[in-house]
Amino acid sequence: MRIVFGGAFNGKRKYVKEHMNLDSNVWLEGELPELDEQAVIAGLEQWIRKQLEQQCPEQDILAAIRELAESAGERIWILTDISRGIVPIDPLEREWRDVTGRSYQYLFGKAQHITRIWYGIPQTIKGDGRDEYLHENRR
Amino acid sequence: MASGQLIFVSGGVRSGKSAYAETLVRQAKGARNVYIASGIARDTEMAERIARHRKDRAQDGWWTIEQPQQLSEALPLIRQNDAVLWDCITTWLANELYEGFEQGSLCADTPGCMELKWQELQNTIDSILAKTVYFAIVSNEVLDEPLVDQAYQEWLGKIHQWFASRADRAIEMENGLAIRRK
Repeated sequence: MRIVFGGAFNGKRKYVKEHMNLDSNVWLEGELPELDEQAVIAGLEQWIRKQLEQQCPEQDILAAIRELAESAGERIWILTDISRGIVPIDPLEREWRDVTGRSYQYLFGKAQHITRIWYGIPQTIKGDGRDEYLHENRR
Repeated sequence: MASGQLIFVSGGVRSGKSAYAETLVRQAKGARNVYIASGIARDTEMAERIARHRKDRAQDGWWTIEQPQQLSEALPLIRQNDAVLWDCITTWLANELYEGFEQGSLCADTPGCMELKWQELQNTIDSILAKTVYFAIVSNEVLDEPLVDQAYQEWLGKIHQWFASRADRAIEMENGLAIRRK
């Protein structure tokens, strides 16, 4: 399980297309694949938002993500950071950021490899151990 | 032909990005230190702040060019072997994208308008680089949050990616700490 993380319009999808390999052509935007299916999952935050708009409770959303992440099949998750800026006044907007943040925390814990993209420039922020040796990640 | 170095510095509000970029430009030992400011005074507090900054920089030996839009107009004012700082992309982009607000016809809503300005900006950057020994560009981090203005944020991301790939050095500022990413 791999994650590519970063702000909006930072070139995350481009990086996945140009620098990462997956034995699958399944590329989903704002949707989840079947269990055990190999895929690139982009726009997870949009999928989460859709669930919240349909009054789906948070624990069901997290359970669906967890069930998928625990199923077999290699997946690349493209996660857009929406955690900064001013706390929104609208309750749905707030809940959306909260649930997205908690989902990301779970996925970050579970992923073997995480790359942060800053305007097209990659940085490995998680390798495969409990301790991260950032100085070894330089390339 | 100087063909200077291009430095891209980006960070959050009060991250120390401008102060850091100023230090870089001063160290470059150009013929002059030129500061291109893109802020517009929208109220008296802003006007006072801009005037104060301008005065502080003048005492520090900076030449200030106020250029809220159309960076190409600053080009004739830049001389061979100057060291230049441009602060910042985010205000410039807002000024360009929302040009025509009073007339009710935003550049953002006019097909091809921003594309033209962007092409012109890239040419201007190349022309400035050809003259200067050092060119530092400052910008702001506003893409790690829910989208509030899709057109603005999409342009900013595109422009930042271009600068990061074009720059000799790209630096992310975190609370005064300069993280060199390129």
